[in-house]
Amino acid sequence: MNLQLPDWLPRSNTVNLLAGAFLLSALYAAAQRRTLAAITAYRFNSLALGGIALTVAFATGAHHIALAALLVIAVKGVTIPSLLRKQALRGGGALETEPYFGVPAGMLVCGALVVIAFSQTRALFGSGVSILASCLPVSVATTLVGMFLMVSRKQALMQVVGLVILENAIFLAAVSLTYGMPLVVEMGVLLDLLVGVALLGLFVSRIEQTHGSGDTTKLSDLKG
Amino acid sequence: MLVLLPLLLLAPIGAVACLAPALALRAGRVATLVTGALFALALVLAGRVVASGPVEGAHLWLRADGLSALVTLVVTSVAFACAAYGEYYMPVVLDRERAEDRWPAGRYEALFLTLVSGMMLGALANNLGLLWIAIEAATLASALLVGYYRRPGAVEAGWKYLLLCSVGIALALLATVLLYYSAVHVLGDGSRGLHWSVLRDVAASLDPRFVKLAFLFALAGYGAKAGLAPMHSWLPDAYSQAPTPVAALMSTALLATSLSALLRFHAVTAACVGQGWSNGLLILFGVLSMVMATPFLLVQGEYKRLLAYSSIEHTGIITFAIGIGTPLAVFGGVLHLFVQSYAKSLAFLVGGSIARGSGSRRMDQWSGALEASPALGTLLVGAGLGLVGLPPAATFFSEWLALAGAFASPHRGAAITALVALVIVFAGLTFHWGRMALGKARPRFKDLLPTASHAPLWALLAVLVLLGFWLPAPLRALLDRAVEVLRS
Repeated sequence: MNLQLPDWLPRSNTVNLLAGAFLLSALYAAAQRRTLAAITAYRFNSLALGGIALTVAFATGAHHIALAALLVIAVKGVTIPSLLRKQALRGGGALETEPYFGVPAGMLVCGALVVIAFSQTRALFGSGVSILASCLPVSVATTLVGMFLMVSRKQALMQVVGLVILENAIFLAAVSLTYGMPLVVEMGVLLDLLVGVALLGLFVSRIEQTHGSGDTTKLSDLKG
Repeated sequence: MLVLLPLLLLAPIGAVACLAPALALRAGRVATLVTGALFALALVLAGRVVASGPVEGAHLWLRADGLSALVTLVVTSVAFACAAYGEYYMPVVLDRERAEDRWPAGRYEALFLTLVSGMMLGALANNLGLLWIAIEAATLASALLVGYYRRPGAVEAGWKYLLLCSVGIALALLATVLLYYSAVHVLGDGSRGLHWSVLRDVAASLDPRFVKLAFLFALAGYGAKAGLAPMHSWLPDAYSQAPTPVAALMSTALLATSLSALLRFHAVTAACVGQGWSNGLLILFGVLSMVMATPFLLVQGEYKRLLAYSSIEHTGIITFAIGIGTPLAVFGGVLHLFVQSYAKSLAFLVGGSIARGSGSRRMDQWSGALEASPALGTLLVGAGLGLVGLPPAATFFSEWLALAGAFASPHRGAAITALVALVIVFAGLTFHWGRMALGKARPRFKDLLPTASHAPLWALLAVLVLLGFWLPAPLRALLDRAVEVLRS
């Protein structure tokens, strides 16, 4: 595989389509007040990510990318969403009753973030980066949407969904910039993320035990 | 290579051993033995690095240079002291916990050793991806330890710590990806492009735009982990809620590991775009951390939160000194990274004994510590001297070198700001320490821990004071090698 030539991969329609699905699923999660629906959106987000990596693997014939893509699908597309789902059902499918932003206002903010991401990525990276050109702005946009999801919600589990979407976006950046990192590293990173989500789930259920609900605004014992 | 392998494997093996039913009840002793052995190995490694330069292994995935050897020494020595102290401290804590909240025997020690394993891997990894994995693993282990007590405050602290540091570490992953991307054109794809030593050698031909972007994300990500302001908000909560030996370990060893990860990015950036750019950012965030910590230090009422803000201040001093970039200042910064670990871990551990003895975490309940228990009082005063940087503590020496270097450099404004912050901190801590150490002893005070628990504390104090008078030649050589890592 020769990475010196930035233009070797034709702008694939499959990749474009999947990148669109990736961004839309993140936006769909940001538009949800029901945690379960947001988790489903995250599942599609991960599957789109795995699909992009698989497409790249087929186009380049690089086996390690294909393996990494399958791992992404298994961990991010199957295991993590079902962990989160189990947690959400245990907490009674927590509903975001009073988000800091209503859904319409939140959507407007997300729209603005997407526009900013698309316009600024080109300015930052220049047009020289044409490999998987459609993916990089999508990745930056999704990073911002994930962060917005984290700061605009009060439900602990919803903040976790924001975090895992943010991580997906960073994975997409890795795939679109460098076709993923070396396999050993990728495996280690996925393992850490999996354990991390399991721990976050553990803390969510402890918050529900000690504070009565998953509302993080009630976490205000520690000050100063 | 032969010394790297046991350094990496002993702690995970020990962690598994602690969970074995046969050893679970004596897990505290296992942890002490394992960390003690690690400390001995770290000394061997440091000797090797001083004598014959960097030790490499596993096809460059692992590498120990001056900085790694120094961080390894900090991690293992502090972990040794914390494990030895924890052997006496944790049972006393356990007795006061409600039975249903108790952890199964051995689990605390297993997580403690998992945390140590993560930090050892972080210190010795040469591959930046491996470094990320190690620091994330250490974060996860420490988050569970922060939530050790099931009280609401500990849950809140653990949640904040885990969520904020997960975001931080995600940004650090992006930094790693960007640096890898900047090297793909030079090195091709493959693990070589993530090896730090390889990256630094070819730094001049990396794409400076992406290297700069990578440094910014690393600063936000690993900086959050190290506790640089303004990404420090998780830190006082986590340190105050974690069990004392864990807080001591996090505020010294985990700090050193995360900071050295950031400094690795700094070294590559400086080699790529020239000294100056990343140095300026380090100075800015270093001084900002010192300034942000001061007001909280002055008004703090709770001992462990006070130490947390002091920890932010010390991280600031180190970052600031290394940012200055002159040989003198960098030497001061690296020395400070080393010696402040002993002051701060001593402060946390002696605080644990006094908090148990007085039954309160608040400093106004601690008055007359010297009279109530001369041994604990002396240790407390020694820790205080170390934290404010007064002789005979070695921190006086390191802070003085850092400031002297800063004043000799063109960054006078930053140096003056840092000096003012240090003076205010000095006044504040002297006030707090005066209140705690002097005055009339509380009648209720009783040291609940056996006298044997003082031994690790005296050892820490001895190191702190001894290094204030005498810098052994091998240590001096090791520090010089660490400076080389950051300045070449």
